[in-house]
Amino acid sequence: MSTYTKPIPRPAPESLPYWQAAQEHILKVPKCDDCAHYWFPPSLSCPECLSTKVTWTEVSGRGKIFSFVVYDRVYRPAFEADVPYIVGLIELDEGPRILSNVIGITPEDVRCEMAVHVVFDDITDEVSLPKFTPI
Amino acid sequence: MTYQHELRDFCAIAGIGNSRLGKVPDVSSLDLIVEAMRNAIDDAGIDVKEIDGIVCRGPDELYSQHQLVGERLGINARFSTTPTNGGASQILSIALAVMAIKHGLAKTVICGYGRDAWSRTHKSEAARVRNETRPDSQLAKEFGPEYGYFGAAATHAFGATRHMHLYGTTKDHFGHIAVDFRTHALRNPQAQMKKPLTLEDYHAQKSIVRPFGMFDCSLRSDAAGAVIVTTLERARDLKQPAVRIKGFGTFNNLRGWFADNNMVETAAKKAGEAAYAMAGVGPRDISTAQIYDCFTYMVLTQLEDYGFCKKGEGGDFVSSGALRLDGLLPTNTSGGQLSEAHAEGMLQIVEGARQMRHTYPPERQVKHAHTALISGHGGNQVCHSTLILGRDS
Repeated sequence: MSTYTKPIPRPAPESLPYWQAAQEHILKVPKCDDCAHYWFPPSLSCPECLSTKVTWTEVSGRGKIFSFVVYDRVYRPAFEADVPYIVGLIELDEGPRILSNVIGITPEDVRCEMAVHVVFDDITDEVSLPKFTPI
Repeated sequence: MTYQHELRDFCAIAGIGNSRLGKVPDVSSLDLIVEAMRNAIDDAGIDVKEIDGIVCRGPDELYSQHQLVGERLGINARFSTTPTNGGASQILSIALAVMAIKHGLAKTVICGYGRDAWSRTHKSEAARVRNETRPDSQLAKEFGPEYGYFGAAATHAFGATRHMHLYGTTKDHFGHIAVDFRTHALRNPQAQMKKPLTLEDYHAQKSIVRPFGMFDCSLRSDAAGAVIVTTLERARDLKQPAVRIKGFGTFNNLRGWFADNNMVETAAKKAGEAAYAMAGVGPRDISTAQIYDCFTYMVLTQLEDYGFCKKGEGGDFVSSGALRLDGLLPTNTSGGQLSEAHAEGMLQIVEGARQMRHTYPPERQVKHAHTALISGHGGNQVCHSTLILGRDS
């Protein structure tokens, strides 16, 4: 039995491939076959050119912190042991911005524009969360 | 001959009302909005049966909220709807009313917003901590909650962090906004917050989601406001001094709050430009601003977007004393959502309109006020609306 008490992602149909790739510790985002645009969150057509020729594409997993916040308040009891924790908006080298935790650095030391890379947190046997840590 | 927009000064606010504000237990959001509407109707001196348009809003789970309001007012309406642009809806309601009146779809439209956010977030300790007024169906299912990302404070705090990074904006700057609005609230007997707030208090506050602490966050209120919109010509025949609707504008950064530079240069910029153009005024003509202050940072960045100072200079502007009643730009003169009560921008409209009537005692009246700019911000942080009101003299 899993003792994991935090929310587990409940994927929409269009984001299922993201979580399937994450389970294999691969970061993938949709990429347009026609205009080469990468985007996030996932959808079935390209928001740049509306093409429906989309390929889930592995990205470098590297990016920088566009912005971040630090939770001191416990909004859900499951996060009580984690405060203060960092939620960051990561701009991947390929362009898309992804919301995630920034780990391996203190709230006092984290900065915008800091270079980070993806790491995977296996929260259950079926689900892994992409998180980011400074390079 | 200079161009004049056909909607400029075509309509006016003829009646203004609000409900009891703050903690009003055991009253539904619908009864609160009807309380505000009854006050607006009395204020205008009209009969409720003269109203033939309703554009209003309440908590997001109330489907077809305007219908429930009409039922309680006991009227049918030619034009009736509920917008769904969050805190930008309330000015949008007035824009829809003006357009409907201009094109003969209605003659007298009541606009309003009511909520019971204090009551619903204080039903239990768990509800108070959770502090969430959205229905469950609207909460994120992925790309957020699994990372402990909850609440509107964090969403806006991302913008604050980015602005601080780009321009050296500080917590002290945010503190000036909280302190000045609290000072305004202390002169407002209806305000939810009654205790003075100093910069020292601000810096000693409990942190919520850095960079925001408690005093950076707006209130959870039971609160409603309403106004009556009709033609300027008709408003002049009614009981109260007419308040001109000089202009309005909307813009929606639908690509997302996290996209582009939207957290730092908000949709207020383009909404404001459209409103200024319709009204035929610019930032220097504004005597008082009523800015959507869901969080302190949002005031600072909108003041920049509206051109009251340059982008990046908001920190210096707000700490210069400009926002005080005797300052360069008296702002949120009733205390705003940070200190008066939070009715998703509706009370900003109410306050802007009252300032145009010059009926306040001297300690609350912006001297010689002739033009008010009011902002609305909401949806998923990307919808914006701007209203410019003018004194009719």
